[in-house]
Amino acid sequence: MSANTQRRPAMLALLSLLVAAGIWLATGTAFGLLAPLSAATLWLSAGASRLAALGFAAAAAALALVAGLGEGDYADLAREGAAVCAAAFSISAAAAAAAAAGDGRASAAPADAVKIIESMPAHAWSADPDGRFVYVSPGALAYLGAPAADLAPLPDSDEFGWKAVVHPDDYARVIAAWRASLATGAPYDAEHRLRRHDGVYRWFRNAGRAERDAQGRIVGWHGTTIDIDDRKRAEAALIEREHELSQLVDMVPGFLFRLAPDGEPLFFSRRMVEYFDTPAEDFTAARGGLSASVAAHVHPDDLERVVALLRRTIPAGEPFASTHRMRRADGTHRWMAVSAEPLRDDDGAILQWYGICHDIDDRLRVEEALRERERFLWQLVDTLPAMVVCAAPDGEPIYRSEQLRAYLGYGVEAFGGDGRTRLDATLEQAIHPDDLAAVKADYARSLATGAPYRRKHRLRRVDGVYRWVESRAAPMRDAGGAIVQWNLICLDVEGEAQAQQALREAQERLARASQAASLAELSASIAHEVSQPLAAVAANSQACHRWLSADPPNLERAKLTAERITRDARSAAEVVSRIRALFSQSTEARGGHDVACVIAEAQELIAEEALRRGVRIGLVIAGDLPRAVMDRVQVQQVLVNLIRNGMDAMDDAPPGDRAIRIAARAEDDAVRVEVSDRGKGIAAPERIFEPFFTTKEKGMGMGLAICRSIVESHGGRLWTEAGEGQGAVFVFTLPAAAQAAA
Amino acid sequence: MTGRLVFVVDDDARIREALEELLASHGMRAIGFASAGDYLGADRPDVPACLILDVELPDINGLAFQRRIAAEEHPPIVFLTGHGDIPSSVRAMREGAVDFLTKPFEAVDLIAAVETALAQDRARRAARADRAALRARYEALTPREKEVLPLVVSGLLNKQAAAELGISEVTLQIHRRNVMRKMSVASLADLVRVAERLEIPVSHSRRRKEDEA
Repeated sequence: MSANTQRRPAMLALLSLLVAAGIWLATGTAFGLLAPLSAATLWLSAGASRLAALGFAAAAAALALVAGLGEGDYADLAREGAAVCAAAFSISAAAAAAAAAGDGRASAAPADAVKIIESMPAHAWSADPDGRFVYVSPGALAYLGAPAADLAPLPDSDEFGWKAVVHPDDYARVIAAWRASLATGAPYDAEHRLRRHDGVYRWFRNAGRAERDAQGRIVGWHGTTIDIDDRKRAEAALIEREHELSQLVDMVPGFLFRLAPDGEPLFFSRRMVEYFDTPAEDFTAARGGLSASVAAHVHPDDLERVVALLRRTIPAGEPFASTHRMRRADGTHRWMAVSAEPLRDDDGAILQWYGICHDIDDRLRVEEALRERERFLWQLVDTLPAMVVCAAPDGEPIYRSEQLRAYLGYGVEAFGGDGRTRLDATLEQAIHPDDLAAVKADYARSLATGAPYRRKHRLRRVDGVYRWVESRAAPMRDAGGAIVQWNLICLDVEGEAQAQQALREAQERLARASQAASLAELSASIAHEVSQPLAAVAANSQACHRWLSADPPNLERAKLTAERITRDARSAAEVVSRIRALFSQSTEARGGHDVACVIAEAQELIAEEALRRGVRIGLVIAGDLPRAVMDRVQVQQVLVNLIRNGMDAMDDAPPGDRAIRIAARAEDDAVRVEVSDRGKGIAAPERIFEPFFTTKEKGMGMGLAICRSIVESHGGRLWTEAGEGQGAVFVFTLPAAAQAAA
Repeated sequence: MTGRLVFVVDDDARIREALEELLASHGMRAIGFASAGDYLGADRPDVPACLILDVELPDINGLAFQRRIAAEEHPPIVFLTGHGDIPSSVRAMREGAVDFLTKPFEAVDLIAAVETALAQDRARRAARADRAALRARYEALTPREKEVLPLVVSGLLNKQAAAELGISEVTLQIHRRNVMRKMSVASLADLVRVAERLEIPVSHSRRRKEDEA
């Protein structure tokens, strides 16, 4: 055999390797497993193509070698080997077919091999036993952008020229592996980055095999350099994704777990382990499996229930969910929601259970608190001594409290569907016919305007009795101000209404009684006022008669007495007309009156009594006093009453100290009148205005109450103040009359 | 005219004036006072008089005033009132008022009441004067005669009275005659009446003496 013939097997071996690598890269499949068989078949079927068959054998050997010597990932290497064989098969098949065509040009094969090598999407190289490159495929040189000479060992150095193109971070590792292979003859296999001509580094897998002669001596090295940059990136992405997934498992705010088909705990997420302080390994099948895990974690009171559930669902492969208490690492039991579902294979067999477990203790407590609060609120609504209605924005009732339901005898569902709205139907049923129109109008206005509603009306009770109630409603609005609901309370004010009626009647009776009492006092006063001048008239007329009857008649004195008779008779007539005026005015409408005048008249009315009781009455009337709107007689009554009270208070005082001071002045838009005495003062300033409160043995206790109601009916106020020194001061105000137009 | 004096206490000047005029027309002199205090403070002549008193006086109620002066010598009172009521009038009369008239009153009634009051006052004054004269006579008796008088008016026999005093019957008869003379009485019966008016206690009774005997 010529040297050329001798080189053929080596070239074919290299060829099969290169092609296999290319196919693996292109397909990633395991077709290469078929390669040895294919090689044998081709050998037998195309005897003329022995060269090609030799190539298949080399490929098969390479596969065996790679598969046998791979130190790392067997599967990976086997797959790669298989790809190599598949490639060899396809290429050899082509070669064999060419050979079978009988063109007899066996010498064409090596040239084809070089051509094929150099057209492969991979780089190839050959080196001598010392590791010096004897061949570098043009693709590699083009990639590197460097002539082959640059890869040769550097002069005066241990280093190879390709140091410059290997990534500095990878170089030490690469050169160590290469030197080790050179020294031992072991296959060389390294992944590292190579610098492209444009300076970009890409990952490559560089693999080489020693070629030995018959004596087993290494005669050279052949290898491929395959661009694996994309695979590397994919791997990195995969690693990143796996990392993210595991981070996800760890970061999910819940406890994830995985169980074997029989329930044996296989995996607890990191959070779960931290929470319970028990890793899944504590509950292997040997250590009791799921039962042990459940017994260790579940609250004794819930245990039976949980165990029953698991016994039912796990063998049946049914997803399960349970809420129960579990013991945390710190020994406290907390409510957890646990659920799991099985993952099945295509045949439906359970592969694993995946489950999640949440601490819902806080949520349960909050829910419980909310439920409790809601219960409380409903209880509040239903036990309030008021009837409550909630209505939609259009007024349709949507809720009635228990009290109202009991009162009416029906709930919100009672009406409707007969053409009327539920609101109208309810109103027509429940509201007293006399109040219905007004209630409806008020409702309509409130619903239209959103204004709060308030009204008293009669409401029909379940027994048919109408009772007075007071209803008040106000709208509930959302953040945007739109009405979302009307809330209405309804209070039974029947008792109150009756009490008010009774009070009104009592007040009327009292007013009548006090009128009668004042009338008695007044009539005594009138009698005195009139009888004095009449007595004088009678005495004078008798005297006059006597003077005239005397002999001789005393005309001088008769005249004098006659004049006195006239005078006193006029005085009596004045009293009578004044009293008549008093009563006739009491029926007049209120008008603006001169307060000073009214005070003077009151003083005149009481003057006789004051004199009799030794009380001086002093007046301090401001000059600029405005007129006040009043019922003259009523205000006189107030004044007389206050003056008389003051006199009563001074009954025990020494005669010289008995004085009443009446002062009047303008104050804001009112006239302020003060009546002060020098009595003992007032012990109970607030109570004295109460009806029937009296400090006097014979008083009815009505005077001040009447005075106050008179003053207040005038729009004024009546109160007491501490006097200067001893004594009491009663003060009242009356609104000033509007100034007459100029 | 000066003999019949009437005091008028009334706070109403018109009434005082009218009463003075009326009384004057009946020949009486009236002196008016506006209050009880004024009346008490005034210098009043000590002659038979009448007091017309208004019940409603500025300083004191007329009835209260009546009670206050009850212990003293005072003219009989005729009350006037603006609004008389029965309890007040009853009380006033019980306390010795002559009349209780309600205004306006009949002049006749008032004058009659005043006349009555004046007569009462005169009579009272006369009685008081008699009593004073008797007292003066009694005071003129000697101590022995003052001892004899009660024994005589007690009805003791001369002999018994003499034994009582430890003197002779003759001496007793001399004292008895002197007493009769000094007391200006003509008979034993008159002497008994005088002793009664002088409120001389009867110290012995003949009956008791007889019992002892």
